[in-house]
Amino acid sequence: MLELRGLSKAFGGIQAVVDFSARLEKNRITGLIGPNGSGKTTLFNLITGFIKLDRGEVFFKKEKIDGLLPHEIASRGLVRTFQLSRVFPRMTVLENLLLAPQGQMGEKLWALGLKRERVRDEENRNLKKALSLIEKIGLLPLKDEFAENLSYGQQKLLEMARLFMANPEMILLDEPTAGINPLMIRKIMDFILTMREMGKTFFIIEHNMDVIIECCDWVFVLDHGEKISEGTPEEIQNDPRVIEAYLGT
Amino acid sequence: MSSFFLQTIFNGILAGCIYALFAIGLTLIYGVLNFVNFAHGELIMWGAYFLYFLMDRPLNLPLSIAFLPALCLTILLGLGSDRFIFKPLRKASRLTLLITSLGLSFFLRNGAQFFWGAEIRTYGFEIKRGMKLFGVSITPNQLAIIVSSTLCMILLYLFFYKSRMGKSMRAISDDLELARVMGIPSDRAIQFTWIIASFLAGLGGILLALDTNLHPGMGLINLVKAFAATLLGGVGNLWGALLGGMIIGLSENIAVLLLSPGYKDAIAFGIMVMMLLIRSSTIFWPKE
Amino acid sequence: MDLFLHLCVMCLIYIIFALSLNLEIGYTGLFNFGHVAFFGIGAYTSALLTLHHFPFELGLVMALTLSGIFGFLLGLPSLRLRGDFFGIATLGFGEMIRMVFQNEVWLTKGPMGLPGIPKPTLFSFRFATLPQYFLLTLGFTAITFLFLRILIRSPFGRVLKAIREDEIAAEALGKNAYRFKIKSFVVGSIFAGLAGALWGHYTTFISPNDFTLLETILVLLIVVLGGKGTEWGPLLGAALLIFFQESLRFLRLPPEYGRYLAPLQQMIFGALLIFMMLFRPEGLIKERGRRVYAGTQRVE
Repeated sequence: MLELRGLSKAFGGIQAVVDFSARLEKNRITGLIGPNGSGKTTLFNLITGFIKLDRGEVFFKKEKIDGLLPHEIASRGLVRTFQLSRVFPRMTVLENLLLAPQGQMGEKLWALGLKRERVRDEENRNLKKALSLIEKIGLLPLKDEFAENLSYGQQKLLEMARLFMANPEMILLDEPTAGINPLMIRKIMDFILTMREMGKTFFIIEHNMDVIIECCDWVFVLDHGEKISEGTPEEIQNDPRVIEAYLGT
Repeated sequence: MSSFFLQTIFNGILAGCIYALFAIGLTLIYGVLNFVNFAHGELIMWGAYFLYFLMDRPLNLPLSIAFLPALCLTILLGLGSDRFIFKPLRKASRLTLLITSLGLSFFLRNGAQFFWGAEIRTYGFEIKRGMKLFGVSITPNQLAIIVSSTLCMILLYLFFYKSRMGKSMRAISDDLELARVMGIPSDRAIQFTWIIASFLAGLGGILLALDTNLHPGMGLINLVKAFAATLLGGVGNLWGALLGGMIIGLSENIAVLLLSPGYKDAIAFGIMVMMLLIRSSTIFWPKE
Repeated sequence: MDLFLHLCVMCLIYIIFALSLNLEIGYTGLFNFGHVAFFGIGAYTSALLTLHHFPFELGLVMALTLSGIFGFLLGLPSLRLRGDFFGIATLGFGEMIRMVFQNEVWLTKGPMGLPGIPKPTLFSFRFATLPQYFLLTLGFTAITFLFLRILIRSPFGRVLKAIREDEIAAEALGKNAYRFKIKSFVVGSIFAGLAGALWGHYTTFISPNDFTLLETILVLLIVVLGGKGTEWGPLLGAALLIFFQESLRFLRLPPEYGRYLAPLQQMIFGALLIFMMLFRPEGLIKERGRRVYAGTQRVE
């Protein structure tokens, strides 16, 4: 699904990511762990085009995507989230969800005038889908509330629901469970597992080992920008190099 | 012809010195406080009018005495605008700050018009014959511009490279990323920034008015020039601002040879747009 | 009655002007400080064409087209910039356009201005009297209001809001922020051109001095005072400010005070803008999500 070949990036002499290569298989949940500052988020930024690569190539569905702009990569079906929740604060919960579907006819100016029927149908379809989704995550009473008025956990949940609406083939999650309570973590994990059932592929940065063990099929370990180990969650847990990296030098 | 051309170059450098003073102040405020102060042009204009006020009736002070108080008043204006307007908005969004500074700019500009009217004024010196140097005529005022702006640059160099405060200010201004990590700079650093920026604006305004004239609209047009110089030199980069100012000054004087003089002030804008077109989009892309 | 109608016409024209700016500032988060440029382009285009005996319909269409084209040309480089740099680029553009009006004497008669702009004739109906002109502007204002409302409530408008809120997150969802910003800017410029054209035909005399920073500040203040990012805010703001401004004009003060009155009034505008930002940045009407139910509460 996603193939990374020799990704490298340096910031002013400091190597943030060094020669990272990996293959991520379709319909799997792959984890990415490593100590703070080991280059995990930078790697995500490189894959999704938010930071320019120094060297290396990215292939998504056998297509070369490095050098494309972030929105081009996203519209090809590779969507990411950010470490802190990035809901649109002064838009309602419903609007946040309706925004997500890709290639909406109603986003084209000419279509608003010429294809009104299709725009309306599409909007109604999306609305129905969004409402059922909101109901499922229990935010129905808050659907017309600004997203900034939600609790942090609810915002994270909304972000997951937004991904669901966007319906990409592959999702990159940057610490989806950081800073929220266990009940919410459970809900978010359910989301991830449900979407995997639907055939989605995941790449997840996560600190919470319980989440890694329960969800992930495969894990990469990053330290100082280098891949120091990979394997199943069980193998990783017992890898002395990983333990050393986490306990410090 | 060649002496005519030399004269143009000289005039360009002269204007460039002044624009550099504006641009350094503007980029310093931008670097430390992270917003473009639209009212910076008005500090320039008020600096010139403060001097006019002191030299006009009833005070009738001579230039040598009125000069320093005029600069002090400009600095007070800068500090005051920070204390009463920008300080309460320290945590506000950048766009709130922009509208505020635009409002302040408009307020100050019309304030000057309220007191002194919209007409073009001069300090009332009789026009002195310039002395000839290598076929270029230099008036005493122009000599003063060259000397004082050079002196200013030397002082700025000493401040930014030798003093502790200056070094840290330069670090903040050069590296926006660092500035973000460090959060809001200390009140003392901010006040110092305002002092230097308003001093440079006031000085530049006075020098410009000595060489040309004063009118309430001079702030806005010089703000655009200062901003173009800042963009040319790289935002937050002090020496770039100096270089950018020189380029703007030279090119607008040379361009007047080719274009209608009415467009002299439009040159800076043209350069600005060209810079925007040339520079890759990534430079201004908000960093992650 | 005439005075009242005059106030209404001015108000309606500024509502169109402010609605177009609100699309950019309020909904897209584009801090356009040179909006007056498009107002001026619209006014001059339509005035010049009708003065050269072209029909008003053509003048109007060309006014909108040229405003849109200039918006596109300015937006192309400057919309790649961060918000505040975009602001200063547009501010500069506003000044430059005024310089063009002033210097291209062969076209615009320079500082002399263009007198005697004919009253509009639309489909062979001449809007000559004040009540007729009032109806004309009312019609155009309604069209603008409804058009922009459809735009804002559409999926297109939703993307604009998302860009205003968080450009990076919008990009991450596959929205081409740059493209949407250009579209919003062009649409805003077109309607500013419409307002300018209507204004020119109403006052029948335009000169470069009518398109200064004052107009930008006034329309910005209308949007900020009324409530940016709301459908009705610009209407409220325009009603308040235009009434204030035009009533000062009818105060019949002795002429020697006139020299102080204009700058004083503009100082008030500047101060009001600062005041709003300091104490009520959201404006008189607050932006709300559509259809908010009472009694909602947090659940977790």
